[in-house]
Amino acid sequence: MGHFHSPAVLLRYHSEEAKQTFEALFAQDFSIHAFSSDEAVLEHIAAAEAPPAALVIAGCETSTAINSTLLVQARTQYPTVLRVLITERVILSELVALLDTQVIDRCFEQPLDPDLIRSHLLTAALTSPELSGQTEHQPSLPNTEGQRPVVLIVDDEPAATKYLIRQLEHLQDEFSLLSADTAEAALEHLRTPGAPIAVVMTDQRMPGMQGKELLDELRQSHPAVVRILTSAWGEVDVALNAVNEGRIFRYQKKPWQAQTLLPLFREAIARHRELASALDNTRCETRKRFAELRLQRHGRLVDHLRPILSAQVPDTTLNAFLDTVASIDHLPAAKAHLRASQDMHLEQELVRRFCDHVRQELSRLENIVPAGPGQSRMTSLFSGTTPQERATSSPPCSPAELLGQALNTLLVSSGLDWSHLVLTESRDQLHVAPEQPLRIYSHLLAPLTRLSDPLLEQQAALLMLFVTTSLLGGDVSAEADGQCLHLAITLPVLPGSGN
Amino acid sequence: MNPQRRLRLFATVSHRLFRDGLLFQILHNEDIELVGESETGVETLQRLAAVRPGVLLIEENLKDNDGLTIAENALSLHPALSVLLISDTPVNSSRMAIYLESGIKAVVSKQQSIQELIKTLFYIRSGQVYLGNWQSTRDRADDALTAYQALSGREREVARLMSQRVAVRDIAEELGVSCKTVHSYKDRIFVKLGFERLPELILFMQRHHQRALP
Repeated sequence: MGHFHSPAVLLRYHSEEAKQTFEALFAQDFSIHAFSSDEAVLEHIAAAEAPPAALVIAGCETSTAINSTLLVQARTQYPTVLRVLITERVILSELVALLDTQVIDRCFEQPLDPDLIRSHLLTAALTSPELSGQTEHQPSLPNTEGQRPVVLIVDDEPAATKYLIRQLEHLQDEFSLLSADTAEAALEHLRTPGAPIAVVMTDQRMPGMQGKELLDELRQSHPAVVRILTSAWGEVDVALNAVNEGRIFRYQKKPWQAQTLLPLFREAIARHRELASALDNTRCETRKRFAELRLQRHGRLVDHLRPILSAQVPDTTLNAFLDTVASIDHLPAAKAHLRASQDMHLEQELVRRFCDHVRQELSRLENIVPAGPGQSRMTSLFSGTTPQERATSSPPCSPAELLGQALNTLLVSSGLDWSHLVLTESRDQLHVAPEQPLRIYSHLLAPLTRLSDPLLEQQAALLMLFVTTSLLGGDVSAEADGQCLHLAITLPVLPGSGN
Repeated sequence: MNPQRRLRLFATVSHRLFRDGLLFQILHNEDIELVGESETGVETLQRLAAVRPGVLLIEENLKDNDGLTIAENALSLHPALSVLLISDTPVNSSRMAIYLESGIKAVVSKQQSIQELIKTLFYIRSGQVYLGNWQSTRDRADDALTAYQALSGREREVARLMSQRVAVRDIAEELGVSCKTVHSYKDRIFVKLGFERLPELILFMQRHHQRALP
């Protein structure tokens, strides 16, 4: 694929100078449409085929942006368009007002960091807003039915917090309140199962981890928790960072007043419910779609692998392999995986490249020798050096040698080596098992974002293990445990041929 | 951002030589604390919980596993971890969108400079996505070149001698000035070109010798 076409950015400029500066910095990366009036911007969006990645307001005071009908209209009509304000100097009270009305998503003041702004604009162009990239790594949202939502207040002055909490508890019974006197203690609360924390309001200045850092962490680990930053100090840079990086819901100036906080918390809880249900819907939808994809992929693998293997082993071997793979846990499917499957031809590629790997492995098998003579070589195989050293010799190799190589590949991908194999020999059987379970972080039936050689090699090795064991008249026992696989192979040994 | 807080880095890079090269450069930076390194994905996942890094620098192609798969697994355990992926080749927009949706914070390709990588590490330290240098059409070496051309004749002369590893004492003698003066030239040159150490200047002079000549 060639160069990324320049994403569209609409610029509403309030001065010729602002326009020139913006164009000088970003014309190379974006296709900029500049307008000097709100009407012209709205006309352009309405007429355009697709909405732009971002709408940038440049060269006006923060106060102008607060009353901008353009921003309000853009927010309601084109919610996916990132709204950015670039201004000479930000005044804290005005930034707070901008947050209250939710008319801007990002705000930058002079001196500008062009790389940072470029980064925000490109990210908006590549991904859908806000919730993307955060949905997949979350633990399931707690079932909050029947429980009151919790507002967590984090401040290193426990007396003030306690007083506020008592007041708020008197005023309402819709939500309950918790307090923490450090960011670390707040994280502990959030990790505690069962507490349906909906909102976190944190002070900025605390010993240890700062409020802003806590909110940064929460944005990633608990995206449905609504974040409010509060401070007695008017630090504009902290507030700006909290808006741009922490995506805070509000910036609340101290001292706190229960009467103003009550409506704020109500609004924040409503926002939390929206976010939580949006996350849940996305998650359900994604899992459903992946389940369909997985079924298709399974069918396709069977269709393509069966003819390749049918000359060597019975269908039951392929089934046993695929059942084993299917039983191994994987990460929950996310938007990234669906996108990879749909946009990148991953599904076709997976089947094609995996089958190529398998064909190549099978082509190395020498003419299959009847069980018996081959057995004597097998025991010596496992008592010798790493098969990798021998693998450098070209084919053909015996099923036993191929089994050894497959085992080695599986060991290496689990951070183990040949010395981690445990061999137990009885009179007519050889048991081979890794002393630790194998680690399978991804597999043929897992959600995939990328096809990599290590993945294909590992999965082909697992299949070859089933195939060669079957050829040798042995048996594979494979039991999944999370992302681990307990593997044991039993091979027949002719009496007297061993050692 | 709290300047007192160091960037806690874990580096997973398969090849020793490449890993050493990266880390030697990265660790020149006082704000970076290396909390762990590994050559395999399995070991990385095993050690993350104990060392709790803020940033994971990981190669896409590891010898045991796919770096992206390892990163996704790491993120499922530690959602606040910032992952910087090192890709073999520049990444196109479809792939970049997939990476971002997987929770990767930035991608630097092996075609990019070490300065880009270090800069990116700092941008993503608080969990921010950083794409500022992705497909940027601007060549940053040009900035240094412009800055070099803006140096005074004397400064350029000192830069040239320094890049040939001529000792300060000898430069002072050759130019007929004091050692102190040469030192102040040196400081100015580094500030103006945005360099911090002599090897950067030597590399720059080597690579741009023809274009850098007045």
